[in-house]
Amino acid sequence: MSDYKKTVGIEVHCELKTNTKMFSSAANAYGDEANSNITLLDLAYPGTLPTVNYGAVMLALRAALALNCEINEDMFFDRKNYFYPDLPKGYQITQARTPIGINGYVEIGEDENSKKIRIHDIHIEEDTAKSVHQTDHSYLDFNRAGVPLIEIVTEPDMTSSDEAMLYLEKLRQLLLYADVSDCKMEEGSMRCDVNVSISKTEQLGTRTEIKNISSIRNVGIAIDKEATRQEELLNQGIVIQEETRRFDDVSGTTILMRVKEIGNDYRYFPEPDIPKLHLSKEFIRDTKDNMPMLPDDRIEAYKKRNISDINIKKLLQNKPLSDYINLFLDEDIDFVVLSNLLLGDISAYLNRTMKDLTDTNLSKTRCLELLTSLKEGKITNKNIKDILIDYLETTKDVDTLLKEKGIENINDTELLIKIIKNIIENNPESVEAYHNGHDRAIKYLMGQIMKETKGAANPAVANKLLQEELKKV
Amino acid sequence: MSKYLDLSITEINEKLKNKEISPLDLVMESFDRIEQNKELNAFITLNKEQAIKDAKELEMAEVDNLLFGIPIAIKDNIVTKDLRTTCASKMLANFVPIYNASVVEKIKNKHMIIIGKTNMDEFAMGSTSQTSYFKAPHNPWNLKRIAGGSSGGSAVAVSSRMTPLALGSDTGGSIRQPASYTGIVGMKPTYGRVSRYGLIAFASSLDQIGPMTRNVYDNALLLNAIVGKDEHDLTSVDKEDEDFTRFMKQDIKGMKIAIPNYFVSEIVDKEIVEKVHDVASLLEKEGVQVDYVDLPYLDKSVTLYQIIAMGEASSNLARFDGIRYGYSYDKCQNLDDLYLKSRQEGFGDEVKRRIMVGSYLLSGENAKTYYDKALMIRDDICKSFAKCFAKYDMIIGPTTTTVAYNLGEDMDNPLKAFLDDVLVIPVNMAGLPGMNIPVGFSRDHMPIGLHIIGNYFEEAKMYQLASRLEEILKLSLQPNYREGGIKDE
Repeated sequence: MSDYKKTVGIEVHCELKTNTKMFSSAANAYGDEANSNITLLDLAYPGTLPTVNYGAVMLALRAALALNCEINEDMFFDRKNYFYPDLPKGYQITQARTPIGINGYVEIGEDENSKKIRIHDIHIEEDTAKSVHQTDHSYLDFNRAGVPLIEIVTEPDMTSSDEAMLYLEKLRQLLLYADVSDCKMEEGSMRCDVNVSISKTEQLGTRTEIKNISSIRNVGIAIDKEATRQEELLNQGIVIQEETRRFDDVSGTTILMRVKEIGNDYRYFPEPDIPKLHLSKEFIRDTKDNMPMLPDDRIEAYKKRNISDINIKKLLQNKPLSDYINLFLDEDIDFVVLSNLLLGDISAYLNRTMKDLTDTNLSKTRCLELLTSLKEGKITNKNIKDILIDYLETTKDVDTLLKEKGIENINDTELLIKIIKNIIENNPESVEAYHNGHDRAIKYLMGQIMKETKGAANPAVANKLLQEELKKV
Repeated sequence: MSKYLDLSITEINEKLKNKEISPLDLVMESFDRIEQNKELNAFITLNKEQAIKDAKELEMAEVDNLLFGIPIAIKDNIVTKDLRTTCASKMLANFVPIYNASVVEKIKNKHMIIIGKTNMDEFAMGSTSQTSYFKAPHNPWNLKRIAGGSSGGSAVAVSSRMTPLALGSDTGGSIRQPASYTGIVGMKPTYGRVSRYGLIAFASSLDQIGPMTRNVYDNALLLNAIVGKDEHDLTSVDKEDEDFTRFMKQDIKGMKIAIPNYFVSEIVDKEIVEKVHDVASLLEKEGVQVDYVDLPYLDKSVTLYQIIAMGEASSNLARFDGIRYGYSYDKCQNLDDLYLKSRQEGFGDEVKRRIMVGSYLLSGENAKTYYDKALMIRDDICKSFAKCFAKYDMIIGPTTTTVAYNLGEDMDNPLKAFLDDVLVIPVNMAGLPGMNIPVGFSRDHMPIGLHIIGNYFEEAKMYQLASRLEEILKLSLQPNYREGGIKDE
């Protein structure tokens, strides 16, 4: 084990989910034909001026609130000046001096292992165009130029690749649940740059920056590889340079892009084309009030409703299902049953058919009907499998489907009692075990009943009858 | 040859209404005058074909406003759809915009006819129009002299009566100073009055479009037509509609006017100072209270201007990189080569000088040392003016320190051009409205201008004062215009 301590800080760029760009009315859409979503401003046509997309400001504010930031109520934009073909104006409009949010944090890990990763700031800026390089030509697609971004900068608070990955997963979840971004790393709507340094003392070592890593898993790999590389250099007595590297998916290593020039000079100054923006108390309050339910609140709500930890975890990994279950939070239903149903048979169906829940006919009302039928014993967990596809794909009710499928449940008490008595007679050991207080025996006997009735027995009724009969023995 | 363009706007309007003349007569007369005074070099691009077409289309239309059918010249840094817009630069020598500036739309809505694009300093950087890639315009009062700048071409077009109206832009005096040198009326409105959308930016926090006209009334009319909040320009302001001519017939008795001592100090030519004192006496006779006051920070404004304007310019002109439009060096070896050569060859010396100085001023620690400090002192200038306007209705002084000087003079002294504008620049720093009106002539018969500075959004009051002075002075303001062109002295 190395006696060097790793220090990691992360910058995340996240595209905001808006209809239009940050400073122009062009559509903000991914995957469209090149240069189809552009206005004169996106090409920095002479004489054009920026306007502000207040929807994007609201989403950025929402993100800042979700990351527990203090809000800069009076903010302005700055110009960051540099030349690059993907930067049509020759400057990027960003917030260098008055970021919308400062001093926030993201909590990672659980309970006694939890840790706060401090957020230095979160600021609004615009994305650049996309360059595509071919052997003798470079092509520019300005569709992405001006797409609203937030950049989230942490303090160097992480000390391992695991912490970095936990942070990114939590951050991604928060931004997804706050509904500010779709956070697709593969499409570039979430991008991370990682700063890594190692040191044996409290004094931080020279850091290197690793750019544009395409997945959270690769962030972990990149950090470890980079730390190892730095350690090897230090052990050879080589001084580490401040440099920018990129992660290579194929080799799983970091590769030098450029050595940092001393004092990279962006000539920041306040953007004179956009007046100062005041975020009113009402605007901030409204944004807070309309904040979608965040992961931690969901966990709490699910715990209260007895959903198992494993199901809670699965639900949070599947926002559409979590959103769906939230529709029922005010209902008096068995959330254990609902979560099992959603994460079990329904998820299996959705995965198999590549559908979303919204593509099915499982409205809230129909779902409630299903739950009631289960509760009343009209259908069993086995029956559900038989009717589920039709229930999801058609608008037929439970009764109709049961009839159509020719499913009849044995609700006939006398018939059941007969079967139960038979089973009790044939299983004296289990009966004895039951009387000696072994709960497992009753499960075995229920299993026998189900086997005998080929699953058609209403479990609730059968269980009740079994207990009664056992007491008689 | 007809002389309809020497008539007042109301007279022209009457003749148009009763069909005595048509817009085409005005347009043709305008082009005739431009042709006969070619040597003035007022225009970079003429819009002849389209202007004639527009005029013909108007023949059937109802004469719905006073500016209907009036020829207008547009400074060549205001973009005009399908009409070449060069900023007097090689960089944009072949640039044909695909949209209209918001002011151009407003001009068209009032059925004015765009005659052409006027000469100017390259990217409006200069105060003599000599940095133009298309050579400097000449002053109609004396062909050897500068017309001023940067809106020199617009000033010449109006002064020599080629068009009754012109638009200019004013970042540090670029409307008022050439107006003064050529004996016309020029208004730089309050910052935000007129949309900057479509004005190719020089220094965004200072730039403002404004009217340049033969007289005060025309000026107010044209301002009426171009003001207003524009959703494309966040710095444009929402103000209730007003008629800027509304106070013109009203008495100016009781007005309180301040003359800053700095404006009549030794930095200004004696005969100009005397003219200002004369005006002060005239005003006192009209019952106006005129006080000489101290206004701090005025002397700092040129330095501030250099820092702020060049800083912003260095950023605003970064977009001219040879990639999407404008001059592009076609034999480049790589990206850096493309940037370097396109900008090296596309921009003139003064523009490059300002980009370099501006970049330097914003670099690293310099931003704090210079730019941030300049913004602070800019606030102080605003406060200084505010104090003055708490006691006075308006401030007056000379517009320029000298009358128009000779072309080619002091070309190798880049600071001179800035010092020329020492009297007009403070107004841009504070975002206040300022205007020039002619108030007399020098011994060598060059126009002398009076600078009127108003409080924010008080242009109507300025026109009131200006029109009264115009009425009292009754100057003959047509230069030695003769058929067949202006003759050299």
